[in-house]
Amino acid sequence: MRLSSSPRKRPASEALVAGGVVVVLLAIVAAVFLSGQGATLYPPNPVTEQGHDIKRLYDITFAIAVAIFIAVEGLIVWSIVRYRRRPGDDELPPQTHGNNLVEVIWTLIPTVIVLYLFAISWQSLNTVDALSSDPDIRVHAVAGQFIWTFEYLDQAGNVVATQQAPAYGAGGPDCPTPAMTNPACGGMAVPVDRSVQVTLDSPDVIHAFYVPRFLFKRDVVPGQTNRFEFTVDAAEAGQVFGGQCAELCGTGHRTMLFSVVALSGSDYDTWLAALVERANATPPPPPSGATTLQLTAKDIAFDKRELSVPANASFVIDFVNADPAGVAHDVDIRQSDGKTVVVDQQTADGGKQSQYTYEGLPAGTYTFICSIHPVPAMTGTLTVQ
Amino acid sequence: MATHALAPAAVTYRPGLYAWLTTTDHKKIGIMYLINSFLFFLIGGLFALAVRAELAVPGLQVFTNENVYNESFSIHATVMIFLFIIPILAGLGNYTVPLMIGAPDMAFPRINALSFWMLPLGGILLLSGFLAGGAAAAGWTSYPPLSSIGPLASPGAGQDLWIVSLVLIGTSSILGGINFLVTIFKMRAPGMTLFRMPIMVWTMLVTSVLVVMATPVITSALVMLFIDRNLGGHFYDPFAGGNAVLYQNIFWFYSHPAVYVMVLPAMGVISEVLPVFSRKPLFGYKAFIFATAAIGALGFSVWAHHMFTTGAVFLPFFSLITFLIAVPTGVKMFNWVFTLFRGQISLSTPLIFAVGFLTMFLIGGINGAFSAAVPVDFALHDTYWVVAHLHYVLFGGSVFGLFAGIYYWFPKMTGRLLSEGFGKVHFVLMFIGFNLTFFPMHMLGLAGMPRRIADYASGAGWNDWNLAASIGGFLIGVSMLPFLWNIFVSLRTGRIAGDDPWEGNTLEWATTSPPPPYNFDRLPEIRSERPVFDARHGLIGHAAKD
Amino acid sequence: MTADSHALAPLDQTGLVASVGSAVPVGHVRGGISNPVLGMLLFITSEVMFFAGLFAAYFATRAQNRPWPPAEFDGILNPLSLILVATVILITSSFTCQFAIWSIQRGDRRGFIRNISVTFVLGIVFLLLQAYDYSLLFGEGMSMGSGPFGTTYFTLTGFHGAHVFGGVLMLGVILYRGMLGQFSARHHDAVEAVSLYWHFVDVVWILLFSVLYLL
Repeated sequence: MRLSSSPRKRPASEALVAGGVVVVLLAIVAAVFLSGQGATLYPPNPVTEQGHDIKRLYDITFAIAVAIFIAVEGLIVWSIVRYRRRPGDDELPPQTHGNNLVEVIWTLIPTVIVLYLFAISWQSLNTVDALSSDPDIRVHAVAGQFIWTFEYLDQAGNVVATQQAPAYGAGGPDCPTPAMTNPACGGMAVPVDRSVQVTLDSPDVIHAFYVPRFLFKRDVVPGQTNRFEFTVDAAEAGQVFGGQCAELCGTGHRTMLFSVVALSGSDYDTWLAALVERANATPPPPPSGATTLQLTAKDIAFDKRELSVPANASFVIDFVNADPAGVAHDVDIRQSDGKTVVVDQQTADGGKQSQYTYEGLPAGTYTFICSIHPVPAMTGTLTVQ
Repeated sequence: MATHALAPAAVTYRPGLYAWLTTTDHKKIGIMYLINSFLFFLIGGLFALAVRAELAVPGLQVFTNENVYNESFSIHATVMIFLFIIPILAGLGNYTVPLMIGAPDMAFPRINALSFWMLPLGGILLLSGFLAGGAAAAGWTSYPPLSSIGPLASPGAGQDLWIVSLVLIGTSSILGGINFLVTIFKMRAPGMTLFRMPIMVWTMLVTSVLVVMATPVITSALVMLFIDRNLGGHFYDPFAGGNAVLYQNIFWFYSHPAVYVMVLPAMGVISEVLPVFSRKPLFGYKAFIFATAAIGALGFSVWAHHMFTTGAVFLPFFSLITFLIAVPTGVKMFNWVFTLFRGQISLSTPLIFAVGFLTMFLIGGINGAFSAAVPVDFALHDTYWVVAHLHYVLFGGSVFGLFAGIYYWFPKMTGRLLSEGFGKVHFVLMFIGFNLTFFPMHMLGLAGMPRRIADYASGAGWNDWNLAASIGGFLIGVSMLPFLWNIFVSLRTGRIAGDDPWEGNTLEWATTSPPPPYNFDRLPEIRSERPVFDARHGLIGHAAKD
Repeated sequence: MTADSHALAPLDQTGLVASVGSAVPVGHVRGGISNPVLGMLLFITSEVMFFAGLFAAYFATRAQNRPWPPAEFDGILNPLSLILVATVILITSSFTCQFAIWSIQRGDRRGFIRNISVTFVLGIVFLLLQAYDYSLLFGEGMSMGSGPFGTTYFTLTGFHGAHVFGGVLMLGVILYRGMLGQFSARHHDAVEAVSLYWHFVDVVWILLFSVLYLL
């Protein structure tokens, strides 16, 4: 068989068709970017100083990525449309085995591009990962299955107040309607425009602190204290940002939500003062004469699985959480289906005691349960008679 | 000398099922690899569909027990990686490598059979976790302490079965890798020098080096996990002097090269398909080989890019190497595109799937670069972006390449051609379904949806993309029907293929379809990487380069 | 060394590797090392990587636990004890194994069987000594659960012991086949493969002894 010396001449319209197909594809890509849906290809607007840096890096990477994507996909599609085999193509096309010059070119150009990307990402990393020696606010975040505890530290590193709660405004007896400055409404409050250094610890498995609007996450590794720093933009005062555990940590992984509540400097000071006051307040004494039950939690299990109290009389559970710090429990009461909440109590951190007071209940069978760990070992039957 | 060198040659001819169960013929073993792995693909796919069904809309619908949800995605990934992609590509290599180098069989045929039979055993062990009180539920990565013993960790036998199963499958891989390497180094036909080997053989060579050097490392990580769980060890126990991140380092030292184990053979497949259907040689044959070797070598020094957010790795180094690995990958991409360029392209099913590989793997490469930029990875790590990225590499890359290979070599394996019509329906459904499933996951990840959650709030803004992804997932499931029907029909009534239906380049097309035991009655002269092309056309086009 | 053994190879298409290393499958690349020996070298490569994983874990664990060994086990791993005898025995067995290779290369079957028997016995003695040593350590309260120190010690030495056990089994097979007269000066790939494995096991032990007892 004879080898043709050059590709068979195609009618000019062939190249036009091929080019046209590529142009249509380009138009579709451009339409996506320019329409509202294009915004979904970008991360959400960042709200921290560090987040803006990450966003800038994302934008540069994205621009280069789109350029490469269009160039290469276009070349692939164009080649296939333009050089498809037609009836009568019996002669072989030119048997090109390679070309050292173009090989060198397409090795060098990508090398330059990735080295540039590496350089700017390293530069960005140095600001994103920077830690100051004297941050304005220090928070020690403890992620245990399946709840976040935020300990506010003074400059000496002592705990002044603890906020242990699920996501902002997630309900609870003290927070019927969310109010930013109400510490009982959950979430980790931080002041805007001040640097916040967070240290991360875990008493059990690996978790990850992730706030999408920060464009940032950091693993919470047991046995290793990680730290990072952020400063929320001044314009964000009064906003609440959702956060969530991002490293699979067990059955309750998805429930490990938290919020970051951005407050103006003065609101934050008020909030923290209220939190400290609440921490120092002595709990109201239990009603005299009420039935008092003992209950201990250890190794994610209640020591008793059956409790019984008289009907329509308030009672008290003296609860001891004998698990390590960071492993929080509570004793909620639910209907016997195990789902419908009857009484919701605040959590008690590991190593702490809590005296839970319950209003009188009508006679019947209920479930008492740790809402953080709704496993069989932390679910029991409460008989009210 | 060996007394059995003169043993009679008749013992291998046994009829029927018994012949398959006892065979040491690399072609039969290769086909069994394909069938077995494809069955696990369907099983893994069902788990994926269950997960997608759960995530289609907010609220818990499919899984009342969330632990079963965690089991589902853990077993989905484990099955797809260890029982589908790695073995099915090894199976394709098992079938083709001895044929392509003109060898009668693998170097160690019995060990080859052993390697295969460990796979169904490993798979059954893995799935038996569901009958033993719950399968592994700590993700396919199974990071301790979550995968250790503990009230809320992984107390059941499922996690132990997972470990044992993976060690077994790993051993199968190692033995297979050794077998490939000895076969490639020692069994080549006269004239088949290393730089005349088909690219498929080269990619299997590099893959096998990765398997032999990396798989034992994960075995060590797994046995230490087993010791921690069952023998009171403290390797990964941070509360008794161990280190939880140690596991991640050892695990990813294997599992990153494993990505190349999963994708290099698919690259080999399309490097065979593209030249044949463009009627041109692969552009830059040697550059391609060096790029493959470079990917293999760099692949050992990027493992920690899976751990950027742990706060326990040296970020700039791993970021740099991860970026650099894009260069040889880019070289390959350009080589493929320039193979198409100025060719005469037949739009047959194998080529269409190979082009599917090119277009989708390109996305998987580009979106990987985002995660190499460490600060961007802080935003994207462990979100659905990563799920999108890995599926564009492993599904858009490996699985499309795999189907290119199946459509390409099916006539060689069976003697019959698959239907082009069903093949194209299969491609269109799978291509649309794939992009509908995985492209929206980029948006979900950017919007902050973490991986491995059973449910999400309705107000999180993730509803539309999740529904799209779930519809796409079921479309992928549907796309398997025309494929299976195609196989079923073509085995009976497909057009007779003849020895060389595609005008192939490599030695497997010089023998009958299917090839006889021990493959060749005679071999064409081997003077380039395209011996069958040379036999057809003469040595044209070589003067310019060689 | 086995190049001419391929002369009859084309008929050898049924009994490909009838047993480890006994048959050279039909191959076209002449000369160089034989398939079983190459296969064993690659297998040893993978074993090296396996132990590399364990050693990496050991050093990482050791680096974050001070003092090492912990006070309660200070001095428990004394190099000048029974373990030195075991070490000398294992090193000696590597030499006798090599003598066996040289014997069979000369065609000296009796010398081969004698040396391989000695190697086999030394391997078993090493295992017995290690078992006895374990019992002493258990007696002093050290076990797998004794913190990272116990975990790493018993894991590393345990896996080495398992490999020695595997090597002893292989030596047993080689010895049995040697007594059946299956090896000759021209055909002993299996012996070479097993001896390579045995040397590997020996080298691992020297590393282990240095790291666990001396470092």
